[in-house]
Amino acid sequence: MRTAKTSFSRRLLLLHLPMALIVLFAIGPYLWMLITSLKQESTLFSAHRSLLPEVVTIENYVRLFAKTDFLKNLGHSFIVASGAVVLGLSVSITAAYSFSRYRFAGRHLLMLTFLLINMFPVVLLIIPLFIIMRHLQLLDTHLGLILAHSTFAIPFATWMMISYFNAVPRSLDEAAQVDGCRPFGAMLRVVLPVTLPGIIATGIYIFITSWNEYLYASVLAGQDVRVLTVAIQTLIGEYEIAWGLLTGGGVVGALPVTVLFMFIQRRLIAGMTQGAVKG
Amino acid sequence: MSAVSLKNVFKSYDATPVIHGVDLDIRDGEFIVFVGPSGCGKSTLMRMVAGLEDITAGEILIDGQVVNDLPPRDRDIAMVFQDYALYPNKTVFENMAFGLRLRKTPADRIKECVHSAAETLQISHLLERLPKALSGGQRQRVAMGRAIVRQPKVFLFDEPLSNLDALLRNQVRAEIKKLHHRLKGTTIYVTHDQVEAMTLADRIVVLRAGVIVQVGTPDEIYHQPRHRFVAGFTGSPPMNFVDAGVVAGDGRPMLNLDGTHYLPLPDALLPAIQDRLGTEVDFGIRPENLHLADSATPADWPKLSLQVELIEPMGAENLVHFALGQHAIVGRFGNAVRPAPGTQIEVAIEPEKMHLFDKASGATLNSF
Repeated sequence: MRTAKTSFSRRLLLLHLPMALIVLFAIGPYLWMLITSLKQESTLFSAHRSLLPEVVTIENYVRLFAKTDFLKNLGHSFIVASGAVVLGLSVSITAAYSFSRYRFAGRHLLMLTFLLINMFPVVLLIIPLFIIMRHLQLLDTHLGLILAHSTFAIPFATWMMISYFNAVPRSLDEAAQVDGCRPFGAMLRVVLPVTLPGIIATGIYIFITSWNEYLYASVLAGQDVRVLTVAIQTLIGEYEIAWGLLTGGGVVGALPVTVLFMFIQRRLIAGMTQGAVKG
Repeated sequence: MSAVSLKNVFKSYDATPVIHGVDLDIRDGEFIVFVGPSGCGKSTLMRMVAGLEDITAGEILIDGQVVNDLPPRDRDIAMVFQDYALYPNKTVFENMAFGLRLRKTPADRIKECVHSAAETLQISHLLERLPKALSGGQRQRVAMGRAIVRQPKVFLFDEPLSNLDALLRNQVRAEIKKLHHRLKGTTIYVTHDQVEAMTLADRIVVLRAGVIVQVGTPDEIYHQPRHRFVAGFTGSPPMNFVDAGVVAGDGRPMLNLDGTHYLPLPDALLPAIQDRLGTEVDFGIRPENLHLADSATPADWPKLSLQVELIEPMGAENLVHFALGQHAIVGRFGNAVRPAPGTQIEVAIEPEKMHLFDKASGATLNSF
C-alpha cells in the first residue's frame, strides 16, 4: 500500500507535474491569445483588467471579418498552401518512389542533396529566389509563392515519403507487375493506396508549413497576394497595435493547422522513425 | 517443345557473377524444383524467368519464345511470393481478380474464374475478407489462388512455405502437389528445404554457387548423386562421409577408412579405383544403408566394428551415432535397436549403396 502511494507521489512529482508545466508553457500563449480575443477591446488596457474576460464577446472576430480583408487573406493562404501540397506531393511521391525502388548512379548523392537543401536557412535562398521570380514575372503571384514554398517542402516531404515507401515490401510491386502492371501502374494501383495514410500525412505537413510561412510570403508577395501571416503582421501599426484583431486573426489563422496537426501527429512521427529499428 | 528453356544464362551484379552459364530445359507440365543452400542463386534464377531480374547473358525461352526483353506482364507467368505479397487494401476476391481485370477480362468471366479457383482451394468463404483478417495458411492459399486464376503458362513459387509452421507446411505441401496433379501446369518451385524438393518435384535442380550441380528425378538425386555436395545436401540425416585411402589389399584394392578401418569394395566399384591406388577419396554411405551385422547378414557385405557414441530415439526409428576415427557416422535403425553408448558393435554395409567421390572435384566415382 505504502509502496503504491510512494510510487504515485514520485510519478506525480517527476512525471505528471513537469509534463503539465511543459504543456502549459506550450499552450499558454495560445490560450492567452484566445482569451484576449474574446475580451472587449476597451477592457484590454483598463485599470481593472483581469486574466479572464468579464464579458465574453466575439466583437473582435466580427470586426476582423467585416472591416479587414481577412477572409480574402485566408483565401490566398488556402490557394498557396493547397498549390504547394499538389506540387510538393506530385514531385516528392515520384522522387521518393524512385529513391526507394530503384538503384541508379548518383542515388545517394541526390538523396544527400535533398537532405542538405533541407538544412539550408531559408533566408539564404530569398535573394536568389527573388531574382528568379522577378525574371519569371512571378513576384506577388500565387504560383511564385507556391514554387518558393516547394523549395523547402519538397526535400523534407521526399524524405518522409521514402520512409513510407521503404516500409512497403518490394514484392507488392513485383506481384503487381507479374499480374500485368507496368512499373508506374504498380506504383499507382498497388503501392500508393497502401501508403495513402503516409501521403495524407505528408500532404498535411506541406500544407501546414506553407500556411505558417512568413518570410517568403512577405518578400516575394504581399500586395496582390497577401496571405494570412503577412496580413496579421500588418495589424501591428507604427503607433498602435490592434490587439483584439491581432489575437482574433491569430486564433482563426492557427485553427486549420491545429486541427490538421491533430490528425497527422501520430503518422508524422511514424514516418520520421520508420525503418529506424527492426519492426 | 520445352515450356521453359534456359540457355547459357549468366547473371552478374556489377562485377560480381552470381549465375554462371545455366542450361536447363523444363518440359510442359513438369514440376521442377530449384534447391540449394542460401545464396546459391536459385531465387535469382527464378526471378530471371519471371522477368523481375535482367539477365546478363544467354537466353530464356517460354513456350519457344525468347523472353529476355519482355517485362513480367507479357510473359504469361504467375508467381507465389515468399511473403505472399497480397495487396493489403484489396479483399481476397479483388486480390485474385486483379490480374484478370488488368487483362480486361469481362466482369462475369472474372467472377466465374475467381469462384472456381476459390472453390479449388477451399477459400470461397474468405472472398470478402481483407488479407489482414486471414491466417498464414489462408494467405498462402489466396496467394496460390491469385496465381491459378489466370491459368498462366508457367507457375513460379518462391519458397512459399517458409513462413508456415511445420505442421501447416506439411499440409500445404501436400495441397500444392494435389493442385499440380489437377492443373498440370508447368511449375518452377524454389526452396532450400530438400524434403520439399524430394516430395514435390518431378525433377530436382540442385544448385551451388550459381552453377547447376545435378538435375534429376528425386530418386536419381537421392540414390545416384553425381557430386558429394548433392549427396550431402539430400537426406535427413544426410549421407555419412569418411576420408578414405585406396590401398592394395590381398589381391584387390580396399579402402582404408580414416587410417583405422579397412573396407573391401564390391566389384562394381573396382573399376573406379583401379588406377587410384595410393590416393585419397571420399567414402559415402547413407544412414539407412548401415545394418546391424547378424547371422542373416549376407556374407559378402563388408563389416566394421564401431563404437556407439550416442542414440537419438526418433519414435519409429533410432539414430545411432558411431565414432570412426575422427569421423562421426550415423546409422538409422529400427526402434528395437538400442545399443548402450560406449559399446562396440558390428555394423554391416550394403555394398551396392556405397558411394565414392573424388577428393578434389567432389564428382562421383560410381558408375550409375
